[in-house]
Amino acid sequence: MPARGSAPKQSRRLSWDKVYTKKLFRQYRLEGDEDARDELITMYLNLVKYLASRFRNRGEPIDDLVQVGTIGLIKAIDRFDIERQVEFTTYATPTITGELKRYFRDKGWAIKVPRRLQELSFKVSQAVDALTQRNQRSPTIAEIAEYLDVTSEEVLEAMETSEAYNFVSLETDRGGDGSDSFSILEYVGKDDVLMAMVDDRTTLSAAFQHLTPQEQRVLYLRFFVGLTQTEIAQKLDISQMQVSRLLRRTLRVLRENIVRD
Amino acid sequence: MHNETVTLIVPARSEFAKTVRMTAATLVSRTEMNYDEVEDVRMAADEAFVYAVETLEPGADVRFEFQVIGDLLTIDVSLGTGVRNTNDEAERSATYATFILESVCDSYQFVSDESGAHLRLTKQAGTVHAS
Repeated sequence: MPARGSAPKQSRRLSWDKVYTKKLFRQYRLEGDEDARDELITMYLNLVKYLASRFRNRGEPIDDLVQVGTIGLIKAIDRFDIERQVEFTTYATPTITGELKRYFRDKGWAIKVPRRLQELSFKVSQAVDALTQRNQRSPTIAEIAEYLDVTSEEVLEAMETSEAYNFVSLETDRGGDGSDSFSILEYVGKDDVLMAMVDDRTTLSAAFQHLTPQEQRVLYLRFFVGLTQTEIAQKLDISQMQVSRLLRRTLRVLRENIVRD
Repeated sequence: MHNETVTLIVPARSEFAKTVRMTAATLVSRTEMNYDEVEDVRMAADEAFVYAVETLEPGADVRFEFQVIGDLLTIDVSLGTGVRNTNDEAERSATYATFILESVCDSYQFVSDESGAHLRLTKQAGTVHAS
């Protein structure tokens, strides 16, 4: 097997970056060192510039794109979980790219995607969640296809239409043929989703105060980090059944407090 | 055991990125790679293609050779004999391209032979677990 990263110059620099990145994240997260956060932002600005340059031929000033990408970078820095065995770049790249694509989408640059594929894209995403939960591992493409009773090729096409690579219009019938378009707004309704999230966050934040640190940690690992019950069990050195019970109990306490509030 | 080689030659223009991603994804979808690994492969193929587009002379073609042996995918990308960009921006671009490739592939390697420069990537099933 070929040696990892044999481009000599880049390789040495990247190794240094990774170690230093981890050090800065520890300083920021564990010691609350805001200077470390600022340094992380500065350090990864070139990644933002690089990713922004991929969109440079679409009529928007590169400075604006870098600003938008920087918002994605800051989100990635604030959300990155230092305990996960994943490199920051792996986590940050889709977040920054996603922010840039949202910017174009909001500007009306969305491309038209056939209704069938948009619907299938939603279903694939739901199937991945359901199968991951059921099998305690990420599903194969064949498993997703079987679950949805479609072909593997259709699953792959649906993955192509997901936000990771394309922009889905939020408006109705942008393409103009009137027959085959479909609006996400038809699915999500007219509420201001972001405002609703702020409301939910406030309510949840208050309810979280009623939980023990261990309960908060389990909820965090399950719903914010996205670990499976088995992974949480390994991390906390308890059984998967205990995690399951802990989650149920915690959610019950949370629900009771939310209803009471 | 799968043992297949597929060669794809596309113009070095951004609109062919989807063709490259779909070819890579279609090949590995028949292996034991899971959803997250297939996403990694798509990102790697996309990144390698963008890198090639920025490296090759305008009007050139990019040649991809995908090989699947069992659950191992190797991608060989021909970068031609001439390097167009040698300025700082190109170097920075290469740095981040390799940064991303290192994150989503098991290995990447730049090699040169009589046919020119190549970028070789590998990705094996069973390296990304459910999250």
